Amino acid sequence: MAVGTRGHEHTEVAAPPPRGKWRRRLTTGGWIRAAWVTPLSFVLATLLVIGCRAWLDYHPLNEFQVLLTAWMIIVPLGFLVGIGGFDYWFYWASGRPTRPEDHSGHGARSWKDYFRVNTDHKVIGVQYLVTTIFFFVAAGMMAMFMRAELAKPGMQFVDNNTFNGLFSVHASLMIFLFVIPAFAGLGNYVIPLMIGAPDMAFPRLNALSFWLLPIAGLIMLASFLVPEGGAFAAGWTNYVPLSVQQPPGNLFFQMAVQWAGASSIMTALNFLVTIITMRAPGMSFWRMPLLVWANFATSTLVVLATPFIAGSQFFILLDRVLHTNFFEPGGDGYALGYQHIFWFYSHPAVYIMMLPGFGIASEVIAVFARKPVFGYRLMALSLMAILVLGFSVWAHHMFVSGMSPWLRIPMMATTMLIAIPTGIKVFSWLATLWEGRIHFKTPMLFALGFVSMFVIGGLSGVYLGSIPIDIHASDTYFIVAHIHYVLFGGSLFTIFAGIYYWFPKMTGRMYNERLGKIHFWLTFVGFNVTFFPMHWLGLQGMPRRVSDYADRFGNLNFIISVASFALGASTIIFLYNMIVSWRRGPIAPGNPWRALTLEWQVSSPPPIFNFDEIPQVVGSPYEYGVRGARHAVLNGDRAEVPEREQVVSH
Amino acid sequence: MVLVGAAVGVALALVAVLIPWLPPAESTEAVKIDDVYWFVTIICIVIFALVAGVSLYAVWKFRAAPDDTDDGAPIHGHTGLEVVWTAVPAALVTAITIYSGIVLNQIDTVPKDHRVVEVTAQQFAWSFHYPDSNVTSGVLALPIGQTTELKLQAKDVIHSFWVPEWRMKEDAVPGITTNVLVTPTKEGTFTVICTELCGLGHAVMRAQALVFSQADYEKWVADEKTKAAAAGSTAGKTLFTQQCGSCHRLADAGTEGEVGPDLDKVLVGKDAEFIHESIVNPNAEIASGYQPNVMPGTFGESLTDAQLESLVDYLVKTAGKS
Repeated sequence: MAVGTRGHEHTEVAAPPPRGKWRRRLTTGGWIRAAWVTPLSFVLATLLVIGCRAWLDYHPLNEFQVLLTAWMIIVPLGFLVGIGGFDYWFYWASGRPTRPEDHSGHGARSWKDYFRVNTDHKVIGVQYLVTTIFFFVAAGMMAMFMRAELAKPGMQFVDNNTFNGLFSVHASLMIFLFVIPAFAGLGNYVIPLMIGAPDMAFPRLNALSFWLLPIAGLIMLASFLVPEGGAFAAGWTNYVPLSVQQPPGNLFFQMAVQWAGASSIMTALNFLVTIITMRAPGMSFWRMPLLVWANFATSTLVVLATPFIAGSQFFILLDRVLHTNFFEPGGDGYALGYQHIFWFYSHPAVYIMMLPGFGIASEVIAVFARKPVFGYRLMALSLMAILVLGFSVWAHHMFVSGMSPWLRIPMMATTMLIAIPTGIKVFSWLATLWEGRIHFKTPMLFALGFVSMFVIGGLSGVYLGSIPIDIHASDTYFIVAHIHYVLFGGSLFTIFAGIYYWFPKMTGRMYNERLGKIHFWLTFVGFNVTFFPMHWLGLQGMPRRVSDYADRFGNLNFIISVASFALGASTIIFLYNMIVSWRRGPIAPGNPWRALTLEWQVSSPPPIFNFDEIPQVVGSPYEYGVRGARHAVLNGDRAEVPEREQVVSH
Repeated sequence: MVLVGAAVGVALALVAVLIPWLPPAESTEAVKIDDVYWFVTIICIVIFALVAGVSLYAVWKFRAAPDDTDDGAPIHGHTGLEVVWTAVPAALVTAITIYSGIVLNQIDTVPKDHRVVEVTAQQFAWSFHYPDSNVTSGVLALPIGQTTELKLQAKDVIHSFWVPEWRMKEDAVPGITTNVLVTPTKEGTFTVICTELCGLGHAVMRAQALVFSQADYEKWVADEKTKAAAAGSTAGKTLFTQQCGSCHRLADAGTEGEVGPDLDKVLVGKDAEFIHESIVNPNAEIASGYQPNVMPGTFGESLTDAQLESLVDYLVKTAGKS
């Protein structure tokens, strides 16, 4: 395969007519072309706005918000054209030869291949993960600034505007540039391998959906540079009318969400088609690993729900820039309409950020407890139940919003119902541990940490689901505690579990187990000391999203801030472990965890097209302890059970 | 395992009881909400003790030696158990839902005989209008033991009314009127907190809530009427405390807001024209160290000309003078 690929590369180089070396470099997709097309598109966008406004006689010609809107649409498109994200489709549209079998964009032979438009799902998975970890660190730094400000009552380090910008951008980056795409990255790497496919169904779409992501993140970060008013500061919920009245920085949220949302939708479509059509022979739905089930459910949620947040932000954009009146009460708009549309996405988004974590936890717990997942079918069905119920609970974010009162009780009932499939999952994980042989490797520690922390987040969710309690607790620090138990204790712990678990597969090297364990314990303790006391703060009367608070909350906030710095420091250990192990860790065998799922039956890292021959799936992926049971037969008719490698430990 | 679970359960129960998680309940609604809170807490303690008991016991009992390459018991499921852990949580959440629904109905039904206070929220101040006595104040005053319906409106963005001791909260949304009921059961001074992010002064958007005996309440109403009747500088002072004081410090009015500049410093030697312009068009000149767009630009519309005049008059006379 690899030889054939190189052959393609030669034809590609030979294809264009002989021109100067530099001219070819300037016109071939890549960073050099992006370096001149991007500024060119900036100039074009500016001329377009000024030209149109001059023609229509609108003044001033250089209206800042209109310019910003045009820039944030056209400049990223220019960058994508420059780097080559659309090349194939342009070739096809213009009738030039499209090289249908061209896999020259596949694989990574050097580090440079990670910095170009690459169609290999394994390269894209790593691109996703590295990018999202960058934004995770950036958003985490913002949390550190906030905790520094909140360590004492009164104002010390930042002003109110900066503070509001910090928590707004922190949440937006964590949600749209870390949790959602980090799961997409892990899924990108693992799902095709798990179902026995050579790649995703649409590799070029896959590449494009990755490159939309850094655009969204950089737009969010760049909002801090807006000269007038700084970053968007109306919270990640961006409620109207506040968001419509905000300085121009708010546009950066609306546009970044479009880019991140488009990326999400493209990836989700890709997952759905891949999972439905590209499973290896014998891989029936009931033989799919639970992570594949989870990504199937998640992708359905993304495809159905994400257009709603895109729409809600477009409406705000139109209200701001074109002075329409979707939400502004002054012009017969309906302020609560925004909240309904927003939460119709953003509640399912909670499950978009949680279901893949459920999948990872199932994989990790089964492997390290050496047992089949308890109640596999009910586990898969409860994912689907959450998917359906997830669309029927959005207004529980609005119990005190002044919405129609009749909507409250039905939404409370559906909210409570979600506790049932969630409970099934937690109890089944515990039952999977029972009579197992549990190995406490770092991924397992994070998976078990996830189960216990997620139970706390789930139970505080039951409090908030009960309307009388929610009337008291909503919009307080109780909410801050709850969402961090769900998204940090839930999503982030499973992301860490997944990264450690598949690190040997992705890099071909083992991470340092000792550092991994230190990272876990520091995170686990730091997390609880940081977020558990926030329940008390909220119930006692500290509202969320404040830079200053009553003096009586001073001591506890100081403890929380100190713990949060320890939590921040734990990330340094994680990054050190990842970077050093990637470069110099011991070579990993193909299957260090003695796992049965398909991704572990090939070399680490896997061959460029994953499998020399498409495997034949013959049974369940979790038959640990069952004598003679097989998940799949690889490499033709060789019937013997693949050799079990020794556990690698440090 | 039962021992571990029981120990966790007892520890949690102690944590739940010994730490005062909730502020004192000072309204009839608060007492009912707290009953739901304790009902849910008991259920949650049992569930968490169960989960903690099983998981702690399992990770201790079933831990494997590093060189152990055996697999665990090939248990694929257990229909009976799966039915139990679907049915029992279903019953529990149904109970919580029904109980919550009943309590919601109780704290949400407007009684026939009740008082009304019209609450107006704006960046970053509260104002309370009492239709039965036609008094308007920056302070919420309620007689003890009577159910009051607060009708909430917002002038600019969404705000949210909350008094933790009363447990009751509701958003004030521009364009619509929302309502919340409260029946205070204790005399004293409480704090109205804005809990919906409303802009740069959100953290300091507070008002006083006073609960009086019936006699003291009537006296308070009479005092307010007298104050309102007194003409001249007092009207400006009242306006200032109601609408400006949560952001601006001014010694004469006794306000200590820190969102905007200290008016005793920045208004020294400024004339009426400058002060008028600064209220109506706050971005015209920004005090050094402060940012534009912080102060709402809507006061020119929301204040009447007479109100503006008395406010400017008051500031000319008092700012930087004490």
